[in-house]
Amino acid sequence: MTAGEAEQLLIHECRLIDERRFDEWLGLFAEDALYWLPITDGDPAVEPSLIYDDKPRLRERIFRLTQTRAPSQDPPSRTLHNVSNVALDGRLVRCHLTIHEYRPGDLSQVGLGQQRVFPASAEYEFTPEGLIRLKKVWLLTRDAPQYNLTFIF
Amino acid sequence: MTAVTFSASDAVVDQAGDFRVHRSIYADPAIFELEMQRIFERTWVFVAHESELPNPGDYVTTTLGTQPVIVSRGPDDDVHVMLNRCRHRGSVVCRAEKGHATSWTCPYHGWVYACDGALEGIAQASGYPDDFLDRDMGLVPAPRVGVYRGLIFASMSATGESLDERLAQVAPYIDFWADRSPLGKITLTRGAHKFFFAGNWKFQLDNGSDGYHGNYVHESFLQILDRAGEKKVGDYKQLRSTGSVVGLGHGDGFIDRPYGGMAGQFEYHDPSLAGYHEQLRQAYGAERAQAILGQRNLLVFPNLYLFESHIRVIRPLAVDRTVVLMHPTRLEGVDDALNTARLRTHERFFGPAGFGAPDDVEMFVNGETGMKARSAEWVLMSRGLARESYEDGVWRGGHSTDESPQRSMYREWKRFMSSE
Repeated sequence: MTAGEAEQLLIHECRLIDERRFDEWLGLFAEDALYWLPITDGDPAVEPSLIYDDKPRLRERIFRLTQTRAPSQDPPSRTLHNVSNVALDGRLVRCHLTIHEYRPGDLSQVGLGQQRVFPASAEYEFTPEGLIRLKKVWLLTRDAPQYNLTFIF
Repeated sequence: MTAVTFSASDAVVDQAGDFRVHRSIYADPAIFELEMQRIFERTWVFVAHESELPNPGDYVTTTLGTQPVIVSRGPDDDVHVMLNRCRHRGSVVCRAEKGHATSWTCPYHGWVYACDGALEGIAQASGYPDDFLDRDMGLVPAPRVGVYRGLIFASMSATGESLDERLAQVAPYIDFWADRSPLGKITLTRGAHKFFFAGNWKFQLDNGSDGYHGNYVHESFLQILDRAGEKKVGDYKQLRSTGSVVGLGHGDGFIDRPYGGMAGQFEYHDPSLAGYHEQLRQAYGAERAQAILGQRNLLVFPNLYLFESHIRVIRPLAVDRTVVLMHPTRLEGVDDALNTARLRTHERFFGPAGFGAPDDVEMFVNGETGMKARSAEWVLMSRGLARESYEDGVWRGGHSTDESPQRSMYREWKRFMSSE
């Protein structure tokens, strides 16, 4: 895979998220995939992560977003993902993600009507078939107190 | 129809068949300031856990109410709690959230403080009298510090109840929490889940031991458990009828769900648990092990909740801004695999990207918006008053969805806020 091919895959992934085509997005992940937002650089077996989803847990996340009514996603988040700085690093593809998130609503409703920005660096690993085996997202503010992070990064 | 600032004693109505609090306690900046002075700076407040400070020189910075403090382990191995504020011109002396240091140098003019708070040196000291360093010019200490089962509490008041007196009634329930470890020893993970929300701190206070909201706020999580084949939504809703709620003195209280019902939902559901349960029976006997495994979302008023999987610390920033920290716990003396499984189960529900806790936080910001409806003045906390019993200082709800813990909180809130 070239950096250019990797970039095209990542742009496609961003588009599936932003268009809320979550079942198709789920299909990009291998069965042994890990979708991971760490808080620290510690061992994930010992240290909590913001998200540490294996494929079954990721299916639950998508089920929650698409099949249940959760107050934290009512109204649901709109997102815009930008991917940049794509580079190959051995088996990894490294890039930057800038995620803009917005839950529509009257500004007098606390929590709604505000655009938020989440810059991050990310590491991807792909299977030979081009499926995502690892998506690890290092939020710039990973150890800061956060409001609602219930959308897809 | 102009809202008035209620006096604290009028803001909590506690009379036969009626219990309510006035909206101003969530919305009025003047009441918030009074809360910091009369509650947070008078009573015992949780500041840190001993496992965060294993060695002399280890420290964390936090707040006591809204005052910046350092909690450190001094060279003498004692725990020190002191204001993070140089005695000279008032700059903070330590900006790190945690770390290890033998001393802190004030970044402004270079005054040096030892890790127990003592002033060690002044840059260019010739501008001061010769005996200046001999004066008591260390970082201002909290007058009293105490530790119970690894939980470090501090009081900004030199007088009042001792920590032992303060915790006497709630201590047996803290013991149940700590004894989830067969060695009776809990440690916190290094990282934590941290929430920020634009709302009053008491929304989290009210919610932590509320047994009423789960069927509604957490419908999404119940559906996830149903889908996973772990429990049918209907069975879960039925289980909420089991157990009770308890209000204690001093504002403390808890949900009281015996093991086998709702309890264990945040532990790991796996046959390997049998080994853990057997460990607890060996350590404590069958009867006590059973009690330890019950679910209690236990509030130690005013800022600490003890949950099965974590401790939760409420940090008020302003009347409409709050930080909540969830520190996952590790049980000493069990298999690493069990602690990892507990962590994964914790992440499933809690944290800002979990499948449960963000839905609670959404209720906190909804409440914040709702409290702007000035013409609707009262928040009701009377649920279950008619089916509540009272004996030996314990209010026991007739149903696990009743508001006995909340009433205990606001009785204590009123007691503190009414005293000059």
